[in-house]
Amino acid sequence: MKTITISAVPGYTEWRTAARECLAAGLAPENIVWQAGESLQDDLFGHQPAVLQTKQELLQQHKIPSSALAIFEVALCHSDTTRFSLCYRILWRLIFENRNLFRLKTDADILRINALVKAVKRDAYKMSAYLRFREVSHEGEEYFIAWYEPEHYSLERKLGFFQDRFKNMRWSILTPYRAAHWDKSNLVLEDNPDPSIYPNTDRIEKYWLTYYANIFNPARVKKNAMLSSMPKKYWKNMPETVLIEDMLKNSEARARQMIIKSNSGS
Amino acid sequence: MIDKITQKLEILSDAAKYDASCASGTAGKRKAGKDDKTGIGSLTGGTGICHSFTPDGRCVSLLKILMTNYCIYDCHYCINRVSSNVRRARFSVKETVDLTLNFYKRNYIEGLFLSSGIVGSPDHTMESMVRIAKSLRLDHNFKGYIHLKTIPNASPELQAEAGLYADRLSINVEMPTQPSLNKYAPEKDLGAIHGAMNTIKDKITEHKRDKTHTGRRPARFAPGGQSTQMIIGADGSTDKTILMSSTQLYSQQKLRRVYYSAFSPIPDASEVLPLKPAPLIREHRLYQADWLLRFYGFGLDEILQGTTDNMLDMDHDPKLSWALRNKHIFPIDLNKADKQLLLRVPGLGARTVQKLLSIRSYTKLSWFDLTKMRLPLNKLKPFITVSDYRPAIHLLDGINFEARFKQPKQMELFAANTAIQQ
Repeated sequence: MKTITISAVPGYTEWRTAARECLAAGLAPENIVWQAGESLQDDLFGHQPAVLQTKQELLQQHKIPSSALAIFEVALCHSDTTRFSLCYRILWRLIFENRNLFRLKTDADILRINALVKAVKRDAYKMSAYLRFREVSHEGEEYFIAWYEPEHYSLERKLGFFQDRFKNMRWSILTPYRAAHWDKSNLVLEDNPDPSIYPNTDRIEKYWLTYYANIFNPARVKKNAMLSSMPKKYWKNMPETVLIEDMLKNSEARARQMIIKSNSGS
Repeated sequence: MIDKITQKLEILSDAAKYDASCASGTAGKRKAGKDDKTGIGSLTGGTGICHSFTPDGRCVSLLKILMTNYCIYDCHYCINRVSSNVRRARFSVKETVDLTLNFYKRNYIEGLFLSSGIVGSPDHTMESMVRIAKSLRLDHNFKGYIHLKTIPNASPELQAEAGLYADRLSINVEMPTQPSLNKYAPEKDLGAIHGAMNTIKDKITEHKRDKTHTGRRPARFAPGGQSTQMIIGADGSTDKTILMSSTQLYSQQKLRRVYYSAFSPIPDASEVLPLKPAPLIREHRLYQADWLLRFYGFGLDEILQGTTDNMLDMDHDPKLSWALRNKHIFPIDLNKADKQLLLRVPGLGARTVQKLLSIRSYTKLSWFDLTKMRLPLNKLKPFITVSDYRPAIHLLDGINFEARFKQPKQMELFAANTAIQQ
């Protein structure tokens, strides 16, 4: 039995290296215990070296389809600590059991990895949607800072998006596990960033709240439709959500008011 | 102390909330180039991101505001008509541009959806709107999404200019027929609206041409196409009339999207209007029918087959209604039926059908497979067979067959206006 500990997050690169070596060594999935660093109780196993020595010639032995690697890369951003063993098992089965494994959409492992991929993609999408910047002045220049708590390791999924969209802005995105700092040309990653650099206020935010409160039509409340797209777990990232409770509370009265006014209209 | 911008924003976003289309459409991909030192924003391809949701279940994707709610027209259903005594406000070009950029830089929005009351003249209004879009694009190198609600009676030159800066243009038809327009929007003319849509359609086609012989690409022109909105339940139009009208808009004016907006009461309404809001379920059924027509290969006659009053069945979705009228073609074998037929099975969406086709080329579909795909099995049950399952005869022919689909009042309404893909 071999134990492999991956303490990096999300851990795709480390997993890939380890998985290739295990594969080359012919280690079946049931003979490996994959441990995610974040799941360790104490530091006892934390310092184990990742795996056997890297030997370049070993890596060539099995061709892994790039489409599968792309799926693993997304799935491994999930916070599920069993993700490493799941991906290795699928990798093993892809090579020794069925090259078309991914097409068997009702296979238990495939269902599971697809669920992970879906959850990561949704979480990453939500990050690109619900993250909010606040502006500060940095050496006389606009500087935008966001604090966001993703459910999974979604920051790495969206770095390209934020760099494309806000290329000519200086910004920092802070998450509990990692920060990305962009100075308009270089991206710097920083582990366990200090959340206190996130500003408390923003000069435009009040307009956003005004807009949010007024674009809502109190005559057609569909709270569940809102909650299914924007469950409460995301609310902590979004300043406008402090208004929701009052908006709902007052909606009936406001809608009634609209009808009363309309009946006594001009 | 409320500042001026807050006041204007209150009035001009409140006035815009009756417009159903809030999503940003598909307008390709776009971002600042490598050496571009000023460009701000991107389009990611696909439909735009929903940056928030309000308690009415609608997606907030764009800064949706009116440039002004002053208006010289007197459309009865409209809160901003000249005879209404709402508070009025007007954003300047610069205020609108600044607000859009400031919102965008904080990741609140995908872009701007600008509409307006008619102030001065149609041309004057349209010209200001075009200036806003132009300033965003040329002065600020804005790469986000811009949707302009064009003014139907504005000059073709201004419409043409608008398309150079906007990703999507739209003109609201509001009512499906001219008699309804006469009654509710006396200054609007269906012929003129269709004419303006055709102008835009021709421009879009013209600009879509391949490179010219000089190797130059024609400028982009409203790459997201056109959309429109119809108000449901203010006039007496039947669902058939409404769907015929949208079918025409899809086929002749080549619209990307027709939005249906259930009439909801507005403050200070005209007495021509009904006092009650139209049921949201009707709006929902129209969207479902619209989807069946565009993506599921249904014909209008099939959807309305057997209805007496040309209205959609409010109890069942239109696909289930159709299936209940055509029991003889069921059950359908999920392992053998072609795609067109699979799309007709109640409970199977287009994506599920794609999945089923993919699975069955490798393995036979069994009931267990279906359970693992989290399909609405109760709904599917009477209509399908798989390798190890056939519906009992009585399921399709039983007296209670229809009753089992009758749902109590609490129908789940899908948020018709979200930017989520169908």
